[in-house]
Formats: sequence, C-alpha cells, structure tokens
Amino acid sequence: MRRWLTGWRVSLRLARRDLARHRGRAIIALVMVTLPVLAVVGADVLMQTAKVSATEGMDRRLGTVATARVEILDTLTGVVQAPDPLNGLGSGEPLSRPTSVGDIEGVIGHRTMLPMPTQTTEVVRTPHGKETMVGTQLDASAPLARGLFRLESGRWPATPDEVVVNKAARDRGVGNTLTAVQADGTETTREVVGTVADATVRSAAIVVGLPGSLPVLDDAGPSQAWLVDGPPISWSQLERLNALGVTVTDRQIATHPGDYPDPLQYSSSDSGTTMQVVALIVVMALIEVVLLAGPAFAVGARKQQRSIALLVASGGTPAQARRVILAGGVVLGAIAAVVGVVGGIGAAWLLQPLVQRFSGDWLGPFDVPWPHLLAVAAFGLLSALTACVVPAWIASRQDVVAVLAGRRGDPKPGRAFPVLGVVLFAVGILMAFLGAGGHGELTVAWSAVVCVLGMVLLVPVVVSWVALVAGRFPLAIRFAARDAVRHRTRTTPAVAAVAATVAGVVALGIGTSSDERENRETYQPSLVMGDASVTPSYSYVSVDDGPTDWSQVEDVVRDRVPGARITEVAGVAQPVSGDSWTDVQFRDPAAATAAVDEGQGEISPGTWGSTLGSDVLVSDGGRLPPLVTAADPGGDVARALRSGRAVVFSSDRSKAALERVTVEVQPTDDEGQPVDPHSVDVPATVLYRAEDAATPVRAILPPALAQRAGIDAAVVGLDVEQPHLSKTAQKDLDAALQDLATPATVYVERGYEADPMARIVQWVLAALGAILMLGGTLTASFLALSDARPDLATLQAVGAAPRTRRAVAAAYTFVVGFVGAVLGMLVGFVPGLAITWPLTAESYADGRGPYLEVPWLMIAVVVLGLPVLTALVVGLFTRSRLPMATRIG
Amino acid sequence: MNTPVLHLEGVSRIHGSGELAVHALREVSFEAYAGELVAVMGPSGSGKSTLLTLAGGLDEPTSGRVVVEGTDLTAAGAGGRARLRRTAIGYVFQDFNLIPALTAAENVSLPLELDGAPSRAARAAAATALDELGIGDLADRFPDEMSGGQQQRVAIARAIVGQRRLILADEPTGALDSVTGEDILRLLRARCDAGAAGVLVTHEPRHAAWADRVVYLRDGVVLDDEDAGETVGARR
Ligand SMILES: Nc1ncnc2c1ncn2[C@@H]1O[C@H](COP(=O)(O)OP(=O)(O)O)[C@@H](O)[C@H]1O
Ligand SMILES: [Mg+2]
Repeated sequence: MRRWLTGWRVSLRLARRDLARHRGRAIIALVMVTLPVLAVVGADVLMQTAKVSATEGMDRRLGTVATARVEILDTLTGVVQAPDPLNGLGSGEPLSRPTSVGDIEGVIGHRTMLPMPTQTTEVVRTPHGKETMVGTQLDASAPLARGLFRLESGRWPATPDEVVVNKAARDRGVGNTLTAVQADGTETTREVVGTVADATVRSAAIVVGLPGSLPVLDDAGPSQAWLVDGPPISWSQLERLNALGVTVTDRQIATHPGDYPDPLQYSSSDSGTTMQVVALIVVMALIEVVLLAGPAFAVGARKQQRSIALLVASGGTPAQARRVILAGGVVLGAIAAVVGVVGGIGAAWLLQPLVQRFSGDWLGPFDVPWPHLLAVAAFGLLSALTACVVPAWIASRQDVVAVLAGRRGDPKPGRAFPVLGVVLFAVGILMAFLGAGGHGELTVAWSAVVCVLGMVLLVPVVVSWVALVAGRFPLAIRFAARDAVRHRTRTTPAVAAVAATVAGVVALGIGTSSDERENRETYQPSLVMGDASVTPSYSYVSVDDGPTDWSQVEDVVRDRVPGARITEVAGVAQPVSGDSWTDVQFRDPAAATAAVDEGQGEISPGTWGSTLGSDVLVSDGGRLPPLVTAADPGGDVARALRSGRAVVFSSDRSKAALERVTVEVQPTDDEGQPVDPHSVDVPATVLYRAEDAATPVRAILPPALAQRAGIDAAVVGLDVEQPHLSKTAQKDLDAALQDLATPATVYVERGYEADPMARIVQWVLAALGAILMLGGTLTASFLALSDARPDLATLQAVGAAPRTRRAVAAAYTFVVGFVGAVLGMLVGFVPGLAITWPLTAESYADGRGPYLEVPWLMIAVVVLGLPVLTALVVGLFTRSRLPMATRIG
Repeated sequence: MNTPVLHLEGVSRIHGSGELAVHALREVSFEAYAGELVAVMGPSGSGKSTLLTLAGGLDEPTSGRVVVEGTDLTAAGAGGRARLRRTAIGYVFQDFNLIPALTAAENVSLPLELDGAPSRAARAAAATALDELGIGDLADRFPDEMSGGQQQRVAIARAIVGQRRLILADEPTGALDSVTGEDILRLLRARCDAGAAGVLVTHEPRHAAWADRVVYLRDGVVLDDEDAGETVGARR
C-alpha cells in the first residue's frame, strides 16, 4: 500500500513537471478536455437557471403569500386532480347544483379569498391597430397577491377605471390610456396608472386591472377562482373540494407531489429512453474527447520514453511506468475539470442576460446544479484518463534496452486489435440493420458508437496501407505517410478523431437530408404554387356577425394586387363565429345504417383543410379553383358537374365505381346540438385521389344538388391567381383585411419551406463538425511537427530545401485529415442509411417511403475540401526553417 | 573470497532467429566480487552492453544463469528483477542518465521512492549519497542545469543509494572530456574500495587501468587472459 502511494507520488511529480516543461503540448490536451466540460457546464447552468423549480413555480403562480388557489369549474361535475392540477385533471361524479363560495368555506373554513380569475385574452387598440394582450383581473395590491406582480413605476389601480401594464405593453405603444375592445366591438378606455412586471411572463404584453375593469371576451365570463390564506389545505380537504368540482393548487401539496397519491396515475415520461439518450450522448462525447486529446498524450508519452526507461532501470515496475503517463491524465483531467466547471459557471453567468433576451419568460434565479457539475467534472477527469490509457499501456511495454541504447522501443502492434475492430464493425452494421428494421433510432445511434469503436481499432491497419501506397508519391507525402505509421500512437487517435467527427456529420447529414426530402415530397400544397386565397377570419371582437362582405374584401385585394385574377369560390356556408356548424358527409348508399354510426362507409373521411374557405364546394363546372383543374387534366370534374353529378374525392380506390352517394347534412346550433339532420342520395362521380395528392376539397356539388341536399351555398373564399406577394406585402394585405367590418385573412401558397429552426440546427452541427475536424487535424499536425523535429533537422542537414518542411507539414495534415475523412464517411454511411428507415419510413399519413437523400455536396466538402484547406493552411503557416536540433527526442 | 555479487554462468544471448539470428553473447561466464572493479573491454558490437543489460536484469539470457546477490534473475521473475534493481543493482549509462523532470536529489532518491520508502528517508539517503560524492550542493538542480560530469556523478550517486553493492557502468565517460572522465573513474574506484562490486564497460585501455581485472570480449566470447593481456597491457 505504501509502495502504491509513493509510486503515485513519484508519478504525479514526474507528470506535473513534464507538463510544466512542455506547456504547448499540455495546453493542447487541456483545451481538448476543458472545452467540452466548459460547454456542458455552461449549458447545464443556463438550463437549470431557465428552468423554474417547483417551489419557484409556485411563487410565480400563487405569489409569495397565498396558501393556495381554488377554482370552481363550471362543468357541474366533480373533478379528480393530480397534486398539481396542471399535471392532470379528470372529471368525477355529476353535481346536482353549482358549487358556491359557501360550499368551499364548508370544507376549508372561513378564510380571506381574493378573486383571481384565469388570465384572459384582451383586444387592445394600439397605434399599430388591434392587438391581443393578456389580461388579469385581480387586486394586485392586496397582501394575498404579493409576489404575482412587481410595481415598477406609478401606483396600483384603485378603481375599475384604472389599469397597469407591463413593459412589453408599453413597448407596443400603450401610453396613459388603454383602449380595450369589447366583445361587441365597442371600445372602452381605461387610465394606465403604472407599470408592473409579471412574475413569469416577460415578453408578452400584459394588462392588470381590478375585477370588472377589463372586457371578458369569452362567452363563459370570468372564471371563479380565488387565492386563499390560512394553513395549508390537507389532501382530504382537497378531495372533498374536488368532489364539488373545485380544483386546488396548494403550495404544500403541489411542491411535494411524491407525498400524495396521484389518483390519475399519470405515468411520468419514459425516463428509460431519456437515460439512454443521455448515456448515448455521454459515450459519444467521451469517445470524441478521448480521441481529440489522445495525440497530445501519445506524443507526451513518447517524449517521456527515456524517462520511463530510466525509471524501469532504477527498478520501477510496469505499473509504475504506466502511472507516469496516467498521472499526466490525472493532472490534466483535474485541471480541465476545475477550469471547465469554473469557466462554465462564469460563461453561464455572462450569457444569462443574452439568454433572457431570447426567452419570453423570466429566467429563474441563477442556479448552479452541483451534482450535475460534479458528474461533468468527473467526465472530464475520466476522458483525460481514458485518453492516456493506450499511451500508458504502450509505455509500460516498451523495449527498455532499445530506448536506453537510443533506439525507439515501441512494442509491436497487437494482431488481435484489428480482428476485434472488424468484429465490432460487423456488430455495428448488424445493429444498424436491426434499428432500421424496427428497433428504432436509438438502436441505430448505438450502432454508430459500436461502428466508430470498431473503426478506431482498424485505423492503424488503414494507415499502414496508406504508407504502402505512399511509396509512389513525392517525398513530402511519402515522408508524412511513413511518419504517420511509425508514430501510430499519435496518428491513430488523430485520424480516428477526424473519422468519428466525419462519421457523425455524414450520418446526421444523411438523416436530416432524407427527412427533409420526405417533408418536401410529402408536402401537400393547398393551392397552385404562387396562388393566394382569401377566407373569412375569426376575430375575438366581431365587429359584424353577419356574412363576409366579399365585395369589400375584393376591393381591398384589388387595391393591393392590381389586375389580380380573382375567382369567387362557393361552398357550404359556415358561420365564422359562434358554435353552429354544418357537417356534410358522403357515404356509400349500400353501407348499413349500423355501420354508418361507426363512421364506416364514409367515402371521403376527414377534413383536408379548407384553405378555400370550405372543403365542400358548390360549382356548376364553370370556373373551378386552379388546383382542382390542375389535378384533373382530363376534365372529369367539370364534365361531371356540368351533367349535374356530384364529384366526390376518395382515397379508397374501391369506391371509384360508385354511381350514387348519400349526402348527409347535419347542422348543429350554437349549443352544439344537432338540428334537422337529413340525407339525400345523389348521382355522383367518385374520383380516386392518393392520400397525399393535392386536393384541398373533399367534394364539389352542382348548385342544384346542393339545394336538394338543403345546403346553404355561398361564397366562402377567393382564389387569387399569382398575386406575386412578398411576405411583407402579404402581412400588409392581411392587416388591411383584418381591419374590415367582416375581417378576412390571406394565405399564399409558397410550396415547401424548410423549418428555419431545423436549418439552424443543421448549420450549427456542420460548424461544430468542421471545428472538431480542424481541431483534430491541426493539433495532430502541430504535435507531429514538434515530434518529427529531429527527422526534419536531419532532412535539412542532408540538403533538403527549406520548403520541404512546409510540404511535409502540409502532407501530414492532409494524410491525417483525408484518411480520417474517408474512413469516417464510410463508417457514417452505416448509421446514416439505417436511420432513414425509422425517420422516414412508410407511414399511415403518406403511404410512401422510406426516403433517402445523400448530401453529396456536403460530404465532398467535408471529405476533400476540409483536408485540402487545412493542409494549405498548415503549409502556409509552418516555419520553413528550424533551429538545428539534436537527434535525441 | 566470499560469494560473488554478480555471477554469470554460461550465458548466451541470441537476438532474432533463423538467418537473422545475432549471437550477442556466447557461453559467457563471469563474476564480480564486492570491493572489486572489473573492466569489460572489446570492440563495438562485441556484446559489452548486452552483458550489462543481462547483469542488470533488463534483458533475459537465451541460456545460462545470471545470479545477483545470490538471486537467480531468471527465476526471480520480472517483479523480482525490478525489486533487485531498486535494492541491489545500480546503473550508469554513457549519457542522459537522469530524468530531466526531476532534480538531482529526486533522481537519486528515485529507486528508494519506487521501493516505497517514506519521502523524508529517501531524501536523507539521497543527500548522504550526494555528499559522499562531493556534490551535495547540486541537490536541487535539474539535469539541464548541470554539466555532463556533474550529471554522471549524480548517476553514480543514484547507483549506490541505499545499500546497493553492484554498480553497472556502460561507458560512463564516453561523453566526457578526459579530465572529467578520470574524475568519474576515480569515484567509481572509490565506491568499489568502499565495498561495492563494479562492472565498467569501456573501450579505452587507459580507463581499464583503474580496474582490478579486465574481461575482454570479442564477438560475444570472453577471450582468455593471455589474449587479453596482449591488448590491455599492465594491470594496476
Ligand atoms: N535488439 C537487438 N536486436 C538485434 N541485434 C542486437 C540487438 N541488440 C544488440 N544486438 C546485436 O548484438 C551485438 C552486441 O551488441 P552490444 O551488446 O550493444 O555491443 P557493444 O555494446 O559491445 O557495442 C551487436 O552485433 C548488435 O548488433
Ligand atoms: Mg555498447
């Protein structure tokens, strides 16, 4: 034991001194380990800061004083709730009468109850027009409400004629008065007496006033809810309140959900998968960090060859020899862990305001999750240690006699490793197959890890092949390739680091490109590309409940789009507001009535959207919406309509033979109750359309048949052909249409547009990949150059031109980068191809797939472009002259 | 005399095999006793260094026995040989003898520390060894702050630190000027006079003059004393 300890003492001393003597190399290794630790710590601290803990959340929802919030739901049923009703709410037994405040007091006793209805949507007139804001009707100055809002300037509202707003509302132009629009369109004005900050929301505009100060646009009126004081509500009281249809948000209960039964048994999210994803990320990051830091440790170990040989000559055991190198990992890992954690916390502190600017909610208090950070620090230490395991192992097996005699004493490479590499690679491919065949994305991701590990073991073999081929190339390449082989311990991790990075980039690239392709090819345009449609728009404050004044709408469109070709589209008239609705279904007349109730026999189920205002149109076959004509080159639709037949689109081929269909019309009134359902058999032509074919409507009826079916036909929308509207122009037109007495909205078909967020993620990934690749090749080259100093000196001594050194440096960079990139590409294809199956496989929605797209351009840039670029950079910046060095490493 | 500190019995060492086999040593028998300095001479490639690495247990003989302080090195195993190097055998090479990251004192105390000695005791022993060689003032210097001769003295201090009695020196003066070289040999001689057994590899007859005995090697074979005598000339 004592020998073990003193052994470590000597090793640590040696390692420390060695690192201090070779700062450049130490810093490279340090950076490779520190940066990931720093990045993860920073991200974690920011995430924990942004995340609102249960207790913080309660302070935001209840303020800092109130015990609980109770709310009577007007469903006339009891409720069943999770400890926090936001996490789960179900309905219970029906109630015979509405619950009153007295009923609540019967359970929890007489307490102060401060009304605090649920937040509502307010429509406010601002200099920009009509905008929606969040309204809270609450006496925010009451002691019970403390902590919900912070008064920043002015005073609290004292009468229902006064309100306060937050800074976001001020930013929208709210001044000393606020004009709120009532449900009927009339406007009321309130005096703004102060500015407040909400406990949660930062960027959304907020208005706060006493109860009754703000219009309630919801028909149901303000919700009945109160903040209460007093002792915590017990679980049994909560159950009795629940039975009365009252939900309870109690500070004590909601923050300790584990102490109470959850009657709803909501299963928490599948933490198994989350754990696997975390494990996967940790393993991948570990591999990458180890490979990136590996060359520095390998060179360090080589430079210490003689020291270790002397140590062995003085009686050091192989374990003690290994420890000299491992101690280097311990020292660097410890420094990296400390610097990374401290730096990460600092970076998070500095970035906090920036993140706040992008977040609509207030971040929580600065939160340092120490247990996480300990784990990340341990990760740093572990990766540094792992990175020097192989160099240490080689150091302990070196030929001491040879090293002491001034020769190199690298042990012969083991034959078993390439075999193991092949086996691992095969297992990886198998796993990829399994993943593609239904085991899912995670299996494919793990297969990538296994493939990369197998590849790492195969790198030495590949590098030695390169040296064989290199015999025919010019001196620089030949020298670089031979050098790469001779210094396997530093070349292998460098090549493998590049390869692992490229494998990741290629795999993710194939995955995202294929996903993108699926999105593009399964995109269903609602209109002909470039066309626009104008349809009635829902408004919180309906100025006019009547049908849309289309001539007014057309005037606005013509005003903005001169010479526009506008088609009025007629269809089943649906009211814009209110709950009344006319449901139209098309059925196979032969289907049994019983089956009809089950939704069977429907020819054209579901809604395909109603970009044209309605998905059941009425037309005599004259001017049809362009998309309908575009999808019907034979003119079947127009012909059928002209001969008085209904046209029904179906994705069920077998229905295409039908000659007649049953049109079922079921209007519902404002309460959602069906009124006067009726059905009629009509002659029809059923046209087959693939599920994903572009058809924005389910059926088109000739006017006569629509009348027979008792359907009110009316103009439901406008089709505007090729208005050539920019996005800004579209917004302007939309704003103008919103300002009409009967507001409308415009949609422009722009085809498939990639999700900008996905684009950003792709770019970030590509940038990260490029940085890792550059880092891997550049550091390896730097180390190789310092390592090959004596050889280069000899080269120069025998008369090589100064630029030979540059050429050798560039060639080495290219060999490492290119070999790594090619290997990585091959390895990346395995999980890349496999992942396209689970990602884009044939699904119920589109009936096609899987989709495959290989981003060849990106791959070419990564595999050829980057190595050439780095080689050029290294060639340019390498000093061509070198002080004569002795030949002793 | 008593039992030899170092005893080689019919030792052969063959590098490689088949056509490429190199017979570095053939059936060499040889011993060194306490208080004796033995010079090993011979042309380059004659097997001198091989003999020393076998004696130090850094390499194993293809056949024959190497016994140090009564312990058969082959039978001792790798761990036993390492322990013997920490406790019984000291090495001095031609140059770059010291670990650059350690001070003179730390270099000297290295075998003791590797053996698990408490650092204070190891330091004290190192200081004593350095003082005996008259370089106590160099204790805290790093190797690159010392001259070649000073470095070799530190190496000798390391070779004798603790109760070690076998010093193996492979051309310890090869990288030094002749005056400094003589100093080093005088030191070695003194250590042997103080009770150590020394084996000195050299190709300079002048240096061999410091030895009690000369063993002459050619092509891995020990030559008879008469043949050697012709070359070496007088014994001290
Ligand atoms: N590892 C080895 N592999 C092959 N031959 C070796 C090896 N080590 C030494 N030799 C050969 O053994 C012979 C003796 O070498 P050595 O003991 O170093 O001689 P000296 O020290 O007398 O110059 C030489 O011919 C040398 O080439
Ligand atoms: Mg020699």
